[in-house]
Amino acid sequence: MSKNGTVEQRYLPEISRKEMDELKNTVKIASQKIIADNIERMKRADPHRPEAMKYFDDIANLFGRRQQEIQAEKEKGKKVIGYMCLFAPTELILAADAIPVRVNSGWYDTSKLGDRVVPVEVCPVIRSTIGAKMIELSPFLEQSDALISVLTCDGMTKLSEILSDQQTIWGMNVPRIKDSTQSLRFWSDEIKHMKTQIESFTGNKITRKNLNEAITQSHRATKAFRRLQNLRRTNPVIMGRDAMLVNQAYTWDDTKRWTEKTELLCDELEKRAQQKDWVCSPDTPRVMITGTPMFWPDNWKLPTLVEEGNPQGIIVADEQCSGERILNDPIGVDEWSMDDMLNAISERYLMASTCPCFTSKNGNEDRINWLINKAKEWNVQGVVYYVVRGCMLYAMEYSRVKKALDKINVPVYYLDTEYTREDVGQLKTRVEAFMELLNARVDF
Amino acid sequence: MSTTQEEFWRWHEYHHIMPNIKPADKDIITAGVDVGSVGSKAAVMVNGQAYSWGITRTGSNSPESAKKALNFALKDTDVDIGNIKYIVGTGYGRVNVPMANKAITEIACHAKGANFIWGPSVRTVLDVGGQDIKAIKIDETGRVVSFLMNDKCAAGTGRGMEVFADLLQVPIEEIGAMSLKVEKEPEPVSCTCVAFAKTEAIGLLRKGWSKEKVLAAYTRAMAVRMANLINRVNLEPELVVTGGQSKNVGIVSRIETILGVKCLPTPNWREGGLDPMAAGAFGAALLAKALYEKEQKIGE
Repeated sequence: MSKNGTVEQRYLPEISRKEMDELKNTVKIASQKIIADNIERMKRADPHRPEAMKYFDDIANLFGRRQQEIQAEKEKGKKVIGYMCLFAPTELILAADAIPVRVNSGWYDTSKLGDRVVPVEVCPVIRSTIGAKMIELSPFLEQSDALISVLTCDGMTKLSEILSDQQTIWGMNVPRIKDSTQSLRFWSDEIKHMKTQIESFTGNKITRKNLNEAITQSHRATKAFRRLQNLRRTNPVIMGRDAMLVNQAYTWDDTKRWTEKTELLCDELEKRAQQKDWVCSPDTPRVMITGTPMFWPDNWKLPTLVEEGNPQGIIVADEQCSGERILNDPIGVDEWSMDDMLNAISERYLMASTCPCFTSKNGNEDRINWLINKAKEWNVQGVVYYVVRGCMLYAMEYSRVKKALDKINVPVYYLDTEYTREDVGQLKTRVEAFMELLNARVDF
Repeated sequence: MSTTQEEFWRWHEYHHIMPNIKPADKDIITAGVDVGSVGSKAAVMVNGQAYSWGITRTGSNSPESAKKALNFALKDTDVDIGNIKYIVGTGYGRVNVPMANKAITEIACHAKGANFIWGPSVRTVLDVGGQDIKAIKIDETGRVVSFLMNDKCAAGTGRGMEVFADLLQVPIEEIGAMSLKVEKEPEPVSCTCVAFAKTEAIGLLRKGWSKEKVLAAYTRAMAVRMANLINRVNLEPELVVTGGQSKNVGIVSRIETILGVKCLPTPNWREGGLDPMAAGAFGAALLAKALYEKEQKIGE
């Protein structure tokens, strides 16, 4: 590794410590302001916001409590294993007594730094992660002792190569055709190999007992997660942004504590539902978001525009790997033998994924089914299809999704943007016009 | 630079009052104020009928531009701002219309306005504004069914045309007709980005191209861009063009050629026709009436 500058970097430019510190400081200060502003606006949207959200507001500070906790654990000898795609089997990391944390970058400012390494045509999520690495901005990326990089889209594939200039990377090959037995066999081998890798890296054996515990823990998290999404099914008791923050916080928080806090939040929300204490008028258009992941904190642009819009909308569901896809599907274990658990993990991570990197006989049918079921069961009135420029796979699946949603008479709006704040004014017009369109089904 | 230099980009600011309408106390008088990036438009309606309108240039201050446009529309009329029951603000500066009761996007307003100007047969509206272009699908009542908007960029918009008017020293209102005075349509300029197109145009002029030919090449490129947007939203006749560029015959006729459909004709504003440049303001004034009536109903 070249942290000391002795090894030549294949991709990343040499930046002087001084420049790096200056840049890091500037972006960090800006980012803390954005985090505070996002939360302030979320509070304003719901004057008597659930008490339990306080915890998540705190954990939302990427440079705060959680960073310090992880640091303390590291000092006691724990390993941190970062990951970029949801395909990384976090249960294996937990079973080996290591800390899993997601490291994709949501900073707009660092995407401009990434431009020094890759052209602007490249997906900004990737450019931003590269930029964050260049100035060592991301606490969780910097704390990661190793990174699991799953080769899903082109961006992720090359990102892992670029990051390997400075970090230990474990690539995982994900088969692009989902519904074939050889794919599952191949993927199972990748999972088993990852288990060995994690074991030798951490020095901790993954036993039947600790894997059982890790899976059980993840089951509990899924249960809490699903409980929260179910509470968004009827008249609104929680703003979409609050739920989205809770969902995403799972990827950097402590699993056990996150589960407890989410259950507490749900208790509160259930009471609200009983008292018919709605967070906004039940007539508010119900919106689902799909497309490119929206990483905290800067990518709150769209949800904020929807929920602060005139007319206002409320986000009741999403189909994003930064949102509801995180914990939606439990690991289906039957016998709790090592083999069975590993197979169950393989199946869960491959078969349940609706990532557009897949294709199959029927195309990415699972994603279409998710969207249609969600739209129906969550009573979704309109879908915003969110794509950042350079995000090829999501952009390419749009026309199919549109046709499928047209069939069930749910309007969908394609919203393309970039890692920038400059287009907020124009996006506001687009989002509000879409909300008006959804409203017009009742109004005027 | 001489101070008397002609401003070729400058288009007509005007106001118009419909004859034969005499607003009375019992009438529902509403207004729509559309503050665009280049033009500010205001329309006053009496019981949902167009009564007067005014079209002015947007200044650096949205609230001021809104006031200016509305006062212009009210000039020499029998209506005072206090007689107006409900005002809807729309356009780029819609949140900065101080006298508005409500803000509605220009997309919904142009849809409604197109339905008002041309009637229920309109299904596709192309709104070419100062800074963006929008393709809007509407139903027979003027409701938005779907829409698309170009990137935030002056490429292929009214502002781009103004730049060209200045560059070629041709009054903007003559640009359209002039661009059609070519024997053979030249290849479109390769880039509609105003900055690059300008450079390209200068090059073509140096090569000896006539102003007409350069204008044809630029207008063609803009029309191609607009036609693409219309196709992406799934064109369904009748098609109409609103916004400032609806007056540019060079744009409208080229869109017709490219798409193989006729647009419904643009009413002649010089003869007091309902001006599609003010479609957003008309739509806003109509929606204002609907909102006012809804409010009254709730109040009863």
